[in-house]
Amino acid sequence: MILEKIFSHGKKERQVTEDIERHIQLLCKACQIFKDALERNDRNLMWEVIELERDADAVRRDVIAHIYEGAFLPYIRPDLCKFVEIVDEVFDALKDTSFHSLNYELPEALREESTRVALLNFRMCEMLLISFEAMIKGEDLRDKILGIRIYEKKIDDIKLILFKDVEQVPVANFWEGKKLSDLLTGLTMISDFIEDASDHLQIINVSTR
Amino acid sequence: MKVHEFMTTKIEFIDASKSVYDAVERMVDRRIRSVVVRFAGKEGDYGVLTTRDIVFKVLAKGTNPKKVKVSEIASKPVACIDKNMDFDDAATAMERSNIARLFVCDEGKIIGLISLLDVMAAELVTRARGNHDS
Repeated sequence: MILEKIFSHGKKERQVTEDIERHIQLLCKACQIFKDALERNDRNLMWEVIELERDADAVRRDVIAHIYEGAFLPYIRPDLCKFVEIVDEVFDALKDTSFHSLNYELPEALREESTRVALLNFRMCEMLLISFEAMIKGEDLRDKILGIRIYEKKIDDIKLILFKDVEQVPVANFWEGKKLSDLLTGLTMISDFIEDASDHLQIINVSTR
Repeated sequence: MKVHEFMTTKIEFIDASKSVYDAVERMVDRRIRSVVVRFAGKEGDYGVLTTRDIVFKVLAKGTNPKKVKVSEIASKPVACIDKNMDFDDAATAMERSNIARLFVCDEGKIIGLISLLDVMAAELVTRARGNHDS
């Protein structure tokens, strides 16, 4: 119950937790749109992901500003900021991958597996949101963090298949190969950042007990 | 959670006319425990060859795996479930048939595989999600 007290103490604290929640919700939305964009090869949807990253930047700035205006006890502030920064890294990776998708059309042979990775990224974000909400309520995060790790391992398995399959995809020149490599690397890296964010959430959870 | 979300798509196929030794080579190279056997001429006609089949039906009997065809020891038909089936139902099917892996099919074509480990992982994730539907 200590956590519940810490996170619902005052108006400033509530504002921060609501904003962090909104930040993760935006991430879920961006991941879902990214998955749809990849599945349908829809450039307009890809641009929407990039727009959402800009919206998320504004939310991140608000969160950090509110924290240093005096929300929460000083010892917990750096950890909360760090968490928000890691979530922002997920947005950056998603944005970069969206740009790569706009520059290079994913070969059909890789689309199905790539879409599965995008779907699992989205599920991981949902789980991150569930974990954050559970932390606010003072619940145990162990099973939720395990869920995120399971998703991550699944993505790692698909990554192996993707990087094996990509060897069969013909590329015309160095730059085409680099674009394809950047796209797949970005896509499979998103889950690493989400896992980092969940690990940090667990650190915050443990340190406030 | 639907099985297509968590299935493994790393499936190796082998023609029924190949030797068991060919299958062993492939299984060792790819670090897998089973291969799907394709029978010539019939679309969607599959069998499965597992390490268990190879050890018990060939190696333990002292038979030369180069002289046994895959079709001679493969199990048929394969246990298949629809890609939109829930993991709970898949687990029930596995328990009922006492098998550790199920193939995932889409319109008669094998597109994936789920093992007991996948079922366990899916169950843990479903519990962690609680009331949040996926």
